[in-house]
Amino acid sequence: MFRHPARPGHEVAPRRSAGQFCRVSASTDVARPSLEALLLPVLDRAYSYALRLVRNRADAEDLVQEAALAAARGFSGFEQGTNFGAWYFRILTNCFYARHRRRETTADADLDEIPDLYLYERAADLGLHGTSPDPAGELLASIDRDQIDEALVSLPNEYRVVAALYFVQDFSYAEIADVVNVPVGTVRSRLHRARKLLQLRLWNVAREHGLVRGAPEGSP
Amino acid sequence: MTIDRYTCAEVFARLDDYLDRELDPAEVELVRQHLETCEKCSSEYRFEAGVRENLKTKLRRIEVPASLTAQVRAALADPGATDSE
Repeated sequence: MFRHPARPGHEVAPRRSAGQFCRVSASTDVARPSLEALLLPVLDRAYSYALRLVRNRADAEDLVQEAALAAARGFSGFEQGTNFGAWYFRILTNCFYARHRRRETTADADLDEIPDLYLYERAADLGLHGTSPDPAGELLASIDRDQIDEALVSLPNEYRVVAALYFVQDFSYAEIADVVNVPVGTVRSRLHRARKLLQLRLWNVAREHGLVRGAPEGSP
Repeated sequence: MTIDRYTCAEVFARLDDYLDRELDPAEVELVRQHLETCEKCSSEYRFEAGVRENLKTKLRRIEVPASLTAQVRAALADPGATDSE
């Protein structure tokens, strides 16, 4: 029986809706929670996200704190009962873009030159598909978290944002769209490109570290 | 009898959405039926699923430093003071 990927107990089930992330009771009988009460539970997530947007811990801490202050200034505009996490992550993302307005770009034409299934094909070059029960795991086993972080933060900003929300936060397309304030279709397109570029850069990281031998490095 | 109604190209076009659980249930079923009968697409699907799972596992959340939590608490208690720095 073929199994669709899902969290345990959620096979083939739709993803959680955007509002399920850090939902706050909309009951009018409950006093409005303080910003601190809402923010502290998502601080781990926010810091993990910020750390993949900027390149060091000090900048990530500054970004989280700056976003907290911006949230304090705008808290009267937060609608109780809506998704606080998405609201705060949107502020944090805006703070990031304000600091890094001049983004590095990779031309779309360059991205389009990256074949789909890039790592799948590299694994084929290595002969893993016929010999390994887990070609992806075997190919990535030698690449550690720091190297994946390195590849992630090397992505152009708009791709790094959606990739971080997807890989680190496990957000749905709708949640990412809510945070980044773009249509879901734009999220889908950016994620597709981000994954292609990430696969290429992971392959190059692996090659640079002598972890694999195979096809020549890509160019983008 | 199961009818494989999606071609390989149609499945490939939906592979991201299938992996990310963004398809509606009817499309999920059609993709699943194809994957059950097509070894090539099934191999690609398993590999891509493995890549995503591997990356998500390694890109796990990082615990926020206690000093940052304290700074945020202080900032929220007196946002004007931090703002003016």
